[in-house]
Amino acid sequence: MNCDDARVLMHAFLDDELDLSTAVEFERHLAGCPKCTGEYEAMAAMRARLKDESFRFEAPPALKEKIRRAIPASSPSRAGGYFSRREGWAPRALRIAVPLAVGALLAIVLVPRAILPTANENIASEVVASHVRSLMASHLMDVASTDQHTVKPWFNGKLDFSPPVNDFAKEGFPLVGGRLDYIGSRPVAALVYQHGKHVINVFMWPSAGDTTSAERIETEHGYNVEQMIVAGMNCWVVSDLNQAELDKFAGLIRARG
Amino acid sequence: MDAAYNLARWLVRDDHDAQDVVQEAYLRAFRFAPGFRGGDPRAWILAIVRNTAFSWLRRNRGADPPTEFDEQVHGGSTEEHSMEADAVRKADAATIREALEQLPDDFREIIVMRDIEDLSYKEIASTIDVPIGTVMSRLARARGKLARSLKERIAKER
Repeated sequence: MNCDDARVLMHAFLDDELDLSTAVEFERHLAGCPKCTGEYEAMAAMRARLKDESFRFEAPPALKEKIRRAIPASSPSRAGGYFSRREGWAPRALRIAVPLAVGALLAIVLVPRAILPTANENIASEVVASHVRSLMASHLMDVASTDQHTVKPWFNGKLDFSPPVNDFAKEGFPLVGGRLDYIGSRPVAALVYQHGKHVINVFMWPSAGDTTSAERIETEHGYNVEQMIVAGMNCWVVSDLNQAELDKFAGLIRARG
Repeated sequence: MDAAYNLARWLVRDDHDAQDVVQEAYLRAFRFAPGFRGGDPRAWILAIVRNTAFSWLRRNRGADPPTEFDEQVHGGSTEEHSMEADAVRKADAATIREALEQLPDDFREIIVMRDIEDLSYKEIASTIDVPIGTVMSRLARARGKLARSLKERIAKER
């Protein structure tokens, strides 16, 4: 990647719009280029400043009220004239399209932010991105230890919860360390395990209430991701390990949790 | 409706005019409701707000001078970038608002949609009807220009 590409791609990176492999390539370029790093910092600072709510103008309540009143009142006469002219050639299409569009419009009037991606899809992408970043950016561990009694206390004071930490060396999945990470706008515990040459990241944070062990398995960018709830913790397991072995590992976590 | 008003307010830069634009846009949207062929309703209404705002601007203020091309993605030294970062952090809200208001229309709207309104590239692309790659490159030029403008403003203040 050259500087010209990086200077455009940094924006998509900041906006979380880059695919994973380009993001990794971009980070690699950034690590070796002080000029692009300087520009990136300026742009990141700007993005942070503009997030301030004071830059966002809210519609005055009187305007909302005026439009709410104007729309239902004006629609029959305006719409009637318009539709009757068209009635001859596309009546059926309009009968379907109009209520659809009107409904959509009312949804925008009444529900300002109706379109939100599902939270779990976002978290799955974030979890995979963190996993890949932990491997690429040589920041796999903040605390390197195979001893669960070293790793667990390390989180004290760094998080407002204490994640369950177990070593599964006997079962072929030794604990190798832990680190702090950031998923879904909150700090989380990341535990690192190894199986042969494969690295497994386990992300944990307290679950919002659901205590049953709801399981989700998916594959994203070739990584296997499993989600479950263990001992009141939201638990995401990510690895390039094959599905069967990851299942086995997830089973160990569930059994010990 | 806040998104519609926010975009209109930044485009026409006046509360009263922005209210007129939003009201006109919603009535138009309602009248042309059959033109809505599915897709993202928010992008659809914002596209109408945007068209209404631009025709309002042409009618009342004459067209903006065309965007100069000096803000093609061009380098800038490491020192310049660190001065920009510095200016961005130090500038008060009023200075940022003023700098943003004085950007060319197509730069201002894309920053408003992305950074203030938090629309995705896809939503922006469908609102202003350009490919996603254009959204990214225009955003790069717009943010670069805003950073340089802030740097100059802060330098003048001293």
